[in-house]
Amino acid sequence: MAELSLQHLEKIYDNKVQAVYDFNLDIKDGELIVLVGPSGCGKSTTLRMVAGLEDISGGHLIMDGGDITQTPPKDRDMAMVFQNYALYGHMTVYENMAFSLTLRKENPNVIHKKVLAAAEILGLTEQLNKKPAQLSGGQRQRVAMGRSIVRSPKLFLFDEPLSNLDAKLRGSTRREILLLHKRLGATMMYVTHDQTEALTLADRIVCMSMGHVQQIGTPLELYDNPANLFVAGFIGLPPMNFFDVKIDGGNAVCEQFKMELLPAEKDMLASYNGKEVTLGVRPEDVRPGGSIKVRITSNENLGMNTLVHGRLGDSTVKITGKFKGWCDYKDGDYVDVGFTKCHFFDKETTNAIRPEA
Amino acid sequence: MEADEKFTRIDRMRYTKNTLSAGLAYLAILFDVVYFINIYASDINYEVGTYYYQMRMGISIVYNLLFMLAAFLCSEGVKSYKRNYSFFLIFIGIIQVVRIFLLPLKATQADYAVGDVVTKVMGKGQFTLVSAYLLASGACCVISAVVGLIRCGELSSHEKALLKEQSNG
Repeated sequence: MAELSLQHLEKIYDNKVQAVYDFNLDIKDGELIVLVGPSGCGKSTTLRMVAGLEDISGGHLIMDGGDITQTPPKDRDMAMVFQNYALYGHMTVYENMAFSLTLRKENPNVIHKKVLAAAEILGLTEQLNKKPAQLSGGQRQRVAMGRSIVRSPKLFLFDEPLSNLDAKLRGSTRREILLLHKRLGATMMYVTHDQTEALTLADRIVCMSMGHVQQIGTPLELYDNPANLFVAGFIGLPPMNFFDVKIDGGNAVCEQFKMELLPAEKDMLASYNGKEVTLGVRPEDVRPGGSIKVRITSNENLGMNTLVHGRLGDSTVKITGKFKGWCDYKDGDYVDVGFTKCHFFDKETTNAIRPEA
Repeated sequence: MEADEKFTRIDRMRYTKNTLSAGLAYLAILFDVVYFINIYASDINYEVGTYYYQMRMGISIVYNLLFMLAAFLCSEGVKSYKRNYSFFLIFIGIIQVVRIFLLPLKATQADYAVGDVVTKVMGKGQFTLVSAYLLASGACCVISAVVGLIRCGELSSHEKALLKEQSNG
């Protein structure tokens, strides 16, 4: 297994478009890092630079103390799992998994043992004689993972491996990847645009936007203490509600409501008195019962929870709440709500306002 | 250690094809093709006709085609460790050897006149060559079949042992 350090990594394409800006990250041995962000944010480009499939325009890539910035992909000892599996259709599962080792002219008996061990881990033993066309999407993706495992690489790279799977299969394969990580204790880099995958899999998440790293932290850190408006809006489903409010003494005030700040919030926002800030509230922190009037526009019953969509009072400002249990609100009903936890963001910098240390 | 190696080698056969047997069967086809190219290399005298230019030539051509088809099918069969194909390979292998005593041997004994000069239809050199090709083709078939039978037996008893082990828990 390996430690990897990405130091001031940059990617500038020939047409001068810069895809990645000053990317810095230290990955510890055995860590599962998830790069998350919307399409075009540079996460796949970063992964491809690590794999050696893209040239690095600036910065250094250090693995186990050695600089591998210019090392060819085949000598980096990394294995990559792609979104489209990249399996050989004319080969059986066994042959697909054994292929890379066969190319390296390893002892066939050793290859056999490694393939069987990987198949056992991935639950593919019964499928070894089948061709990829005879497998489900999830099984194909497991074969692709198996092909990586047999190589025993220093680093596993996953490029949106679950994107081609349906929702149910995505959930089960995600759990398998998590189990695999625990079982192998391998260092992994995983790219996804799905924040659920990021939150459930990652030891640490790197949230990216427009080629810039927005925040690096544990899933809980990103969820509980987003660094800026982008992270706050991107992490969490449904996304966070945002309201423009003015800090007026001990209150946060807007046209639709006036909310008294908690003592800690008052201290934190003391320097913003009289100024406008962005108030962020997660849907799960919107609870029924409070002083803020909401007009219901629709509600989605999910069984355990109900997603309630509405407008603040009679305005056009949208709000979404996630209420426990089954709610039967009608469109046009008015509900009073309150907020259990609030996040505040600077309107100019979009950075989170944090209490001074 | 050696037993473990042997176990793994046989266990590998559950997931890999018998490429050695298949390869030998392909080689048998190749030798037959080379034989086929060489057998009619003797001079043809259009005025008096040729020794070959009669029904046996047609039969020879058809048999060559059938041999190639059969050997190819057998190669696929032995590749998948199917025992019956090995027996059939042995059969067509033996026929390849027998063929030496049919067309080529008889051609060495037949006279062939060009004007006043009488010679043999097939010279010793050519006979040796075509016989070697047929022999090689036949030998490849038989070796392919023997390898196939051995591996088939090993795999079959290995699978039985695994099944027994499984049923014993």
